[in-house]
Amino acid sequence: MQLLIEAIGFGIAAGAVLALGAVGFSVQFGMSNILNITYGSLMTLAAYIGLFAIDRGVNPWAALALAGIAVGIASVALHRWLLAPLARRGTRPFAIVIVTVSAGIVLQYVIVAVAGPDAQSYGEQSGQTFHLLGMIMSASQVTIIVLATVLMLGLHLLLTRTTLGRAMRATSSNRILAQSCGIDTDLISDVAWLISGALCGAAGVALAITTVSFDFSIGPIFLIPMIAAAVLGGIGQPYGAMVGGLVVGIATELAAAFSNPAYSEVVAFGILIVMLLVRPRGLFGAAWATRRLMA
Amino acid sequence: MGTLKSRLVSPLALGAVFLMVACGGGGGTTIPTQTGPLSLGVIAPFTGPAAEFGKLLSAPCVAATDLINAAGGISGHQIACTSIDDTGDAADAVPNVTRAIATTTNLDMAIGLESNTAATTVPLVNAAKIPFFTTNGLTSFTKNNLQYYYRMTPGDDANGAAFAVWAVRQGYKNIDIVFQNNIGSEGNLPGLNAAMPKLGGKIVNQYTIPADAASYSSEVARVIADKPDALIWSADPQTTATFMSSYKQLNNGVLPAMVTATDSLTPDFFNAVKKVVGVQYVTQSIWLVGSYFDQTTPAFNTYKAALLADAKTHDIAPVLSTVGPPAGAYDGINIMALAMIMAHSTVGSVYNADVLKIVLPKAGAVVVGNYADGKAALALGKQIQYVGVLGQPAFDQYHNSAGEFDANKFNADGSATQVGTISGAQVIGLLA
Repeated sequence: MQLLIEAIGFGIAAGAVLALGAVGFSVQFGMSNILNITYGSLMTLAAYIGLFAIDRGVNPWAALALAGIAVGIASVALHRWLLAPLARRGTRPFAIVIVTVSAGIVLQYVIVAVAGPDAQSYGEQSGQTFHLLGMIMSASQVTIIVLATVLMLGLHLLLTRTTLGRAMRATSSNRILAQSCGIDTDLISDVAWLISGALCGAAGVALAITTVSFDFSIGPIFLIPMIAAAVLGGIGQPYGAMVGGLVVGIATELAAAFSNPAYSEVVAFGILIVMLLVRPRGLFGAAWATRRLMA
Repeated sequence: MGTLKSRLVSPLALGAVFLMVACGGGGGTTIPTQTGPLSLGVIAPFTGPAAEFGKLLSAPCVAATDLINAAGGISGHQIACTSIDDTGDAADAVPNVTRAIATTTNLDMAIGLESNTAATTVPLVNAAKIPFFTTNGLTSFTKNNLQYYYRMTPGDDANGAAFAVWAVRQGYKNIDIVFQNNIGSEGNLPGLNAAMPKLGGKIVNQYTIPADAASYSSEVARVIADKPDALIWSADPQTTATFMSSYKQLNNGVLPAMVTATDSLTPDFFNAVKKVVGVQYVTQSIWLVGSYFDQTTPAFNTYKAALLADAKTHDIAPVLSTVGPPAGAYDGINIMALAMIMAHSTVGSVYNADVLKIVLPKAGAVVVGNYADGKAALALGKQIQYVGVLGQPAFDQYHNSAGEFDANKFNADGSATQVGTISGAQVIGLLA
C-alpha cells in the first residue's frame, strides 16, 4: 500500500513535467495542425540554455523562465520562416512532418557540436524532501508541480477569459472564418507558437531538473511519452494534454513499482492504445470540441 | 589415328596451359599484394549515447599505430586508424560496417565490435576475411566457429561472476542487481546467479531498468525496501546519475556501495555521477571490476608512454591505462601486425593463419612486448612469443582468452587505482 501511494506521488511529479510539454505541443497542433517533431530538440535546447545560465550563477527557476522565453522566440521563428511558408505552398502534411524531423536532427547535432556529447547536470540536488499523505517529493518536484499547475491555470484563463484566447480558439476552429471576422490569424499563430514554445522551454528545463543528469538526447527521448499524453487527452486539446500527462506519468510509475521496471513505458503505451480503441478522439476530444464551438 | 590424336591433343593441351597461366592457375596459389597505407578499422559507436566507447577504443589504435609507424610500418606500409561508426545500434551498424568494408582501401584488420552491435557486426567482418580483436563480452561468442575472430577480454558471464566474488570479498552478502536493459548488462546475469549462492551471498532482488527515463523513483523505492548491502550495477552515465540522485533524495542522503564493470571507468561516468552525488561517494563506494593486467611490465610502460605521447590520447591516458578492453585492442593490433610480417602478407585471409603463432608459448622463442621488438626479432629470423599489456594470451579453440580480473577505484581526478585482483580460475570455476 505504501509503495502504491509513493508511486502515485512519483507519477504526479513526472506527469507534471509531461503535462507542461504536452500542453505546449497540443496548443501548437491545435492552432496550426502541424505535428512538430522539432519540439523534442527544442526541449533539449532549453535544457542547455538553462545549463548555460545556471553555470553563470543564475537561479534554476530564473533559468527556466529565460529558456522559456528563448525557446518561445525560436518556435515563432521556426513556424514563421520554415513551417508556415511550406504550409502556404501546399506542402503535404506528411512532408511537413518530415521537415520537422529533419530540423530537429539538425538542431540536435548543432547542440552536440557546441556543448559536446557528455552527460550534463545542473548540479547536486540538495533540496528538502516533503512527505505528504504518504507521498515523498523533493522540493524541486513540488516546485515543478506548482509551476505546472499555475501555468495550466494561466493558460486556461487566457483561452477562456481573454479576447486573445477567444481569437486563438477561433483561429484554431476555423482559420478562414476567423480571418473574415477581422482576426489577424498570422499574429494569433505567432502568439500561439510563442506560448507553446515557452511551455516547451519550461518543460525542457523542468525535465533536466527532474532527471538531474541529461545529454543531447533528452528532448527527443521524452517527445514520445509527451505526444502520447497529448494524444491520450485528445490531440489539440490543452486540458486533455494536462490529464494525459498525469495519466502517462502515474501509469509509468505504477508499472515500475509493481511490474518489471524495464517494461514501465510499455505498460503506459499499452494503456494509451487501449484508451484510443475505446475513445478514438482521446479522453477530452469530443467534449472539448463541443465546448469550443459553444463558447 | 594415333597421329591425328596426338595432333589434336597438343593444341588442346597448349590452350589449357594458356588458360591456366592467364587465370593465375597452374596448380599453385598467388599471394595477393597490396599497395599504399593500411587501414585499421575501429568499429565502435562514435555518435549516439554510447559514443564514449568510440573515444575509448580509438585511443589504443592511435597508440599502436604511432608505435608501428615509428618502427617503419608493416612491410613498408604505414598504417592509419579508420573510424567506423556502428552508433551502438544494430540497425545503423549493419549498413555502416558493410559500406566501410566495401569502400575502405586496404582494410586489413579491425578492433572494437562492442557488445551492443557485435551480434550483427562480427559476422560481417568475419565474412570479409578481416582478422579482428573484439571487445564484446557476449556469451554467445564464448563458443563459435568464426575463423577471423579473436577476443582477449572475458565474456559477460565471467564478468558477472567476478562481480560476485568482489562483492562477497568486501562483505556485501545481500545484494540487489540493477541493470540497464541492454544486451551487455543482461549477459552478466547468468554468472552472477551462478556465483553468488556458491560464495554464500544472496541476491535479494534483480531489476532491469530502462535507459534515460524521466524518473526512477519507483524503482529506487523498491531497492531501498530491499535494504541491500550493495548494488551490482550496470548502466550508462546519465541513467546512473539520475538513479543515484533519486536514491540519495529518497534515502535521506545515504547511498549503497556499488560494484560495476570497468566499462564505467570513463571520464563521462565519473563526471556525471560526481556532479549529482559528490566526489566522496564516487571515490569511496564504487568498485569497478574487469580484466586484470600488471601495470609494471615493460609492455604496459610502452603502451602508457604511447598514450601519453600523442596529444589525441594524452588526457585520457590515466584512465585508459587501467581498463582491460582497450588494452586488449592494443595487444590485438600488435599481434595482427606481427602476424602480417610473419606471413609476408598484409592480406587478412593470408596472415590470419599466423595470428595464433605470434602468441603461442614455445621453447627458444624471443619474448616480446611491443611491435618494434617483435619486428626486429622476426627480421633476424627468430621465433617470437608476444606477451603484451594483458600478459600471456591463452586462446582456447574458440579464440577467446579471458585472463585474470581486478578491482579498481576512482581517484578524485577521475583516474583509477587498482585495489585488488581476482583469480580467473576461481571465476571460471564458479561458472561450471
